[in-house]
Amino acid sequence: MIVDDHQPFRAVARELLERAGYVVSGEAADAAEALDAVAADSPDAVLLDVQLPDRDGFAVATELAAAGDGPAVVLISSRQADDYGRRVEACGARGFISKSNLSAAAFAALLN
Amino acid sequence: MASTVLRASPSENIRGDPVLLLPVVVAAGLAVGRLGLHGHFSGMRVAADLALSWALVAAALAVRERPRWRRAGWLLATASFAVLGADLVWAASSALWTLGFLLAGLWAALLVHLVLAFPDGRPWSRVAQIAISGAYVATLGGQLVGAFVDPNTRDVLGLAPHETVAHTVDRTQQITGIVVGLVVLVLVVRRLRVLGGPARRAQGPLLVAAAVTASSAVFCLGSAVATDSVSSALETIVRAIAISMPLGIVAGIMWSRLRRPELSELVVELPSGAGGMRERLARALGDPTLEVVYQLADGRSVDATGRPVSLPDGTDRAVTAVTAGGEEIAALVHDPALLDEPALVESVRATAGLVLENERLAAEVRSQLAEVRASRGRIVTATDAERRRIERDLHDGAQQRLVTLSVALGLEATRADPAAAAVLSRAQDDVEEALVELRELARGIHPALLRDQGLEAAVEALARRAPLPVTVHGTVGGRLSDPIELAAYFVVSEALTNVVKHASATEASVLLEWETAALRVAVVDDGIGGARVTPGSGLAGLRDRLEALDATLTLESEPARGTTVRASIPCGS
Repeated sequence: MIVDDHQPFRAVARELLERAGYVVSGEAADAAEALDAVAADSPDAVLLDVQLPDRDGFAVATELAAAGDGPAVVLISSRQADDYGRRVEACGARGFISKSNLSAAAFAALLN
Repeated sequence: MASTVLRASPSENIRGDPVLLLPVVVAAGLAVGRLGLHGHFSGMRVAADLALSWALVAAALAVRERPRWRRAGWLLATASFAVLGADLVWAASSALWTLGFLLAGLWAALLVHLVLAFPDGRPWSRVAQIAISGAYVATLGGQLVGAFVDPNTRDVLGLAPHETVAHTVDRTQQITGIVVGLVVLVLVVRRLRVLGGPARRAQGPLLVAAAVTASSAVFCLGSAVATDSVSSALETIVRAIAISMPLGIVAGIMWSRLRRPELSELVVELPSGAGGMRERLARALGDPTLEVVYQLADGRSVDATGRPVSLPDGTDRAVTAVTAGGEEIAALVHDPALLDEPALVESVRATAGLVLENERLAAEVRSQLAEVRASRGRIVTATDAERRRIERDLHDGAQQRLVTLSVALGLEATRADPAAAAVLSRAQDDVEEALVELRELARGIHPALLRDQGLEAAVEALARRAPLPVTVHGTVGGRLSDPIELAAYFVVSEALTNVVKHASATEASVLLEWETAALRVAVVDDGIGGARVTPGSGLAGLRDRLEALDATLTLESEPARGTTVRASIPCGS
């Protein structure tokens, strides 16, 4: 599943993942929508933008991790990992990819 | 050149003047001497009465210089008359005897009134009001009732002479007198304890005299009740002691006047530092509560340090304006009791005018400085908010679009033919470069990490990104206010930029230290030193930003001994 409030980016990311053979279960534009969609579709992995209009991606990742056997979360942002210090490790996500470095290979590397 | 405006109004204007009674009292005194022919009268008593009466006249004259004390003047003059009036009981005529009988004790009631409504004629309290009324009822009222039943043959009003009833009336008067005397004693002692400054100086002697007189009167009446007989000797002694009351009033006025020579100090010693004049004026006027309020040209009122203050409008403080060249330059806010000494206030005001004008100019400068400082702080705050907005706009707008473009270009490159793929890849590289530059720009404008996670995390990120080894020591123990975090961050960021650009250092360290009320930041390198703060440089801009927070920036940079940049940022409380 792809969570990002920027529609053109979601479209590009979907194409990138689908071309690599992933099935994109759905898209969400904010945290509330994302949590609903995860509950409904139970995806294996979530590509989660850090900056969302309602809550930040760290809060969503923390909530998903707390639920137990939830999806693997990969955080993305147009900022760099540096800009977030230790918050990435602390929220229970698998890892962080800077949006401009997003590729199927980077995604796969974090999932395995 | 200067004039005083007394804003607090003096008490009600009473027409006439007690001094007009002076000839009458003198004549009455002489008349008593001529008429004192009947029966047995005491020479000591007449002497005491004359002395008391004349002392009361002297006090009535003395209070003329104080507008607020005019009602007291009337009471003093009337009492002086009443003292002699009571002595008519020694006159041969029955009518005069009766008049003297009616007036007996009235002087004491007038003195009770004088003290408990001193100095402006308003009773101190409800209890004081009741005591005053009690004194009049016991004396005038009691004597009137007594006159109807008194068995004395010369009593022209004695329509129903009755020994027992007359005795009961006497007894009632004496007991009422004791109660009133005790109330006066308690109220006076309490008043003495709360009065301060000029009021204590002016009223203290009278109050002490009143306490002594009230005590002696209570003793005299008590002994009359206990022994069932009136001691003429004791009565004479009470009158003699009562002389201390008018003398106390005169003493209070003299005491206040004696202070005036000290005023010359005002011009001789020029005050130093903000508010030096206040201390001096407070001392000269004997009013420790005195405040000086300076009127600035723009209409604002400030104290000596330039802080805005407002003038009181109630009656518990009085305001005396000081003018120079027709312009109001300052106001003295003081104890209203000082209004009783207009000459004193006037001389202080005239003497202090010039120095006050100087202090006013100093206060004006301080006030403007404070204003400039405050506006500088507001400008920095506004700039920071603007920086934050720009950073967010860059991130949400251009950066997002470029990122999407970059990923899309990469995606297209994978499925295009080799020639097109090469072009697309180069385009993606350009976009990547633009993104890196944009990210650096945004970070320099307002670091997102600082906003989200605070100073320590942001400084650690700066250290990690630096192209030389940078270690961070110390801790700040949590979040600080936005301007302080931002200022400290820019110190580290600017210093590290300089290290990289100019210092030729092999390593650097950053020290963060939180002390009570101040954050200390130091950036130390082992480079070539010789750095200076030059106008227009990054460090100069940083110093301006820090000064807006009352913070300091120092630079130690001996050639070949490395460079240390230190900042100390006060954090309030």
